[in-house]
Amino acid sequence: MNETETLTEVTKSSALLDLALALGGFALFSLLVVAVAYVVMRVLFLAIPAPAVVRFLSWRYLIHRPTNLIGVVGIFLGVGALIMILSIMTGFLEQTRTSMRGSLSDMILLLPGTEAPRRPYDAQKILEVVRADPRVEAASAHLSWPCFLTREGGNSLLMLSDPQRSRHAFVQLAGIDVEDEKTSTEFHASLVRPPTYGESVADPTAPFAPPPEYDSSMGIPRASVILGDQLFAAHRLRRGDFVTLIIPVRDPQSEYGFAAKEREFVVAGSFRSSENEMDLERIYVERGQLARFMAGANEEDELPRGAMNVSQVLIKLRNYETDRDATQLELYDALKDKRLIDSSCQLATWEEFRGPLLGAIENERVLLGIMLSLVLLVACFTVFAILSMMVSEKRRDIGILTALGATPRLSLMVFLAIGFWDALIGAFLGACTGVVLALKIDGIERWLSAALDVQIFNRNVYIFDTIPSVVEPLAVGAIVLGAFLCTLLFAAIPAWRAARLDPVEALRNE
Amino acid sequence: MSLQPIVLRASAVKKAYRIARRALPILHGCDLELARGERLALMGPSGAGKSTFLHVLGLLDRPDSGHVEINGADAWSMGVDGRARLRNASLGFVFQFYHLVAELTAVENVLLPSLIGLNTFEFDRRRKELDGRATELLVRFGLKERLKHRPTQLSGGERQRVALARALFHDPPILIADEPTGNLDRETGEKVLELLFEEQARRQLSLLLVTHDERLAERCERVARMDAGRIQNGLRA
Ligand SMILES: Nc1ncnc2c1ncn2[C@@H]1O[C@H](COP(=O)(O)OP(=O)(O)OP(=O)(O)O)[C@@H](O)[C@H]1O
Ligand SMILES: [Mg+2]
Repeated sequence: MNETETLTEVTKSSALLDLALALGGFALFSLLVVAVAYVVMRVLFLAIPAPAVVRFLSWRYLIHRPTNLIGVVGIFLGVGALIMILSIMTGFLEQTRTSMRGSLSDMILLLPGTEAPRRPYDAQKILEVVRADPRVEAASAHLSWPCFLTREGGNSLLMLSDPQRSRHAFVQLAGIDVEDEKTSTEFHASLVRPPTYGESVADPTAPFAPPPEYDSSMGIPRASVILGDQLFAAHRLRRGDFVTLIIPVRDPQSEYGFAAKEREFVVAGSFRSSENEMDLERIYVERGQLARFMAGANEEDELPRGAMNVSQVLIKLRNYETDRDATQLELYDALKDKRLIDSSCQLATWEEFRGPLLGAIENERVLLGIMLSLVLLVACFTVFAILSMMVSEKRRDIGILTALGATPRLSLMVFLAIGFWDALIGAFLGACTGVVLALKIDGIERWLSAALDVQIFNRNVYIFDTIPSVVEPLAVGAIVLGAFLCTLLFAAIPAWRAARLDPVEALRNE
Repeated sequence: MSLQPIVLRASAVKKAYRIARRALPILHGCDLELARGERLALMGPSGAGKSTFLHVLGLLDRPDSGHVEINGADAWSMGVDGRARLRNASLGFVFQFYHLVAELTAVENVLLPSLIGLNTFEFDRRRKELDGRATELLVRFGLKERLKHRPTQLSGGERQRVALARALFHDPPILIADEPTGNLDRETGEKVLELLFEEQARRQLSLLLVTHDERLAERCERVARMDAGRIQNGLRA
């Protein structure tokens, strides 16, 4: 037996031990819940002026009929699953929002590509106007352009022919101003975050400085790029490597109106953002360098007048929640009045920008909620079925109670109380378990994945390193209350039937 | 004896069952009087309507017409709650088939009238005293070793003694027994009856006893006979 085998044996047996401990813990926990439910019952029934037989007999019936457990377990599963899944979905939603927000800033001014002979947008003036608004905390100009990435001795064509990986060849060049970017987006954070696959830049305060591995005596290339973590890895790059970027530019002479331009850049390092998408297909470059590249000017030359140098302005507000709508309207009008933008431009909040994705997650959450509510409904129906059975079975008891002085209302209460215990134990146990599972879901998933040797949650597929979950007390309360009312409603039907039974018929014979 | 007041009076009680739209008359105007401390046997062939009449007297089955007075109050013109209180406090019922609740122990079955009559708070407060009384009653009925037994763990005679203790627990003035020994062998039946008569005498109960046993009827002060829904000798002479 070699070492790794021994190791797996050890982890397997410790996983079993963990499982036994977890189950034991759960059993203890259930006992505690039943005890709490019993205490609640005693207190509650002291408060309600119901005949003592309601509490006494309903509890007795519950304990002596193990079939009642099915109802309790059903409610428990329904409530637990609802709380757990909804918490995870809420977590997904919030996590997605925050991570999108980090990379998207609060608002984005979209300046669509200029068609000659319109003069280019003046980034400097636009930024001045935007920053003059007291509600704006920071703003930065972006120049975004599509590009094709190749490297000497690389396999770009191979990548192109592979639909799975062709996205690594077609990427988005983002021209940025380092200092502005630090204040308005999470650019800086994405530089200092430890890379998963790539190599950080040597100096995050001057990210576009030539990397130490680069021999500047050669003179070429003169500008640096920073690639997304996964893109960096897909091309098997090292810091100091050269890459060739090919971009389409306007060319009236060409048949199709554009031609390709290429330029060599040096790789300064990689960044890791909180969004998978960006790490896959974004390359940062200095905005001025991208503008020169597009205009066909050398790296050290002046930028020719009339060259395109901005395509978006990212805006960060001091208080997004309160100022969003007013700022959006007023800023747009101000820019338009000063003729800095035209009607083809758009000022969108990040939510509008990413609306469809957020909407999809929200939709999914609602759908899951509905589906799991059906589980709860089935559980309620089980309670209904079991109670109906019990009422038929206990006809004689109802007759006895009546003969000893019970009113029909009392018979109703006895059976309704059984539904009440089902709901109390099931919903309480489900709520506690659901909340615990929701809070510990990441650890539980890791443990299960390890124990079962399969990956349940593939972290590479999602943007997140951990399974997010947010427990909303209000939602938990609503679910518990809903389960309670639903169960009581379903229990009320057989209970009502119990009240309508003819006591004499049940008493006539054995 | 005839000076004793009437505690239970039925007058002109009629009852018919409706089967397939046709009324099937069972009771054709029955009259009955039961004085305080009196033992009255009700006899008659099977199907005469004895149980039906008892259910009307026991406020379990509403008559089509006629009145049932308990301590002078017309029970069937009361509300549901008032009648339930009368059943709980003034009437004791013993059935042929014991009718104990299977989930409860002997003591708990005896406690049932109190469980129904008292609210939770009151019951919890008086639990000790009530438990004591129920136990004492069962011990007197020779069930000292059977207090915590469930009905299925008891013999027929023992079950009927528990049922008798339950009927007597609230000390009701009226006890209605529908063939209480009908399901027991002679010897066991005798023992239960001894208890029944002993308690009746001790508590000055008014006992209405349905039986097929002539020797038993002889031990009662008065015997009413029922046949095809009519009663003879139901009223006091
Ligand atoms: N729910 C019912 N519907 C129709 N007929 C009924 C119903 N209950 C009882 N009966 C009929 O009423 C008649 C009287 O029944 P009851 O049980 O009162 O007789 P009983 O005198 O007690 O007889 P036994 O001595 O056998 O107990 C019977 O013929 C019975 O078939
Ligand atoms: Mg009968």
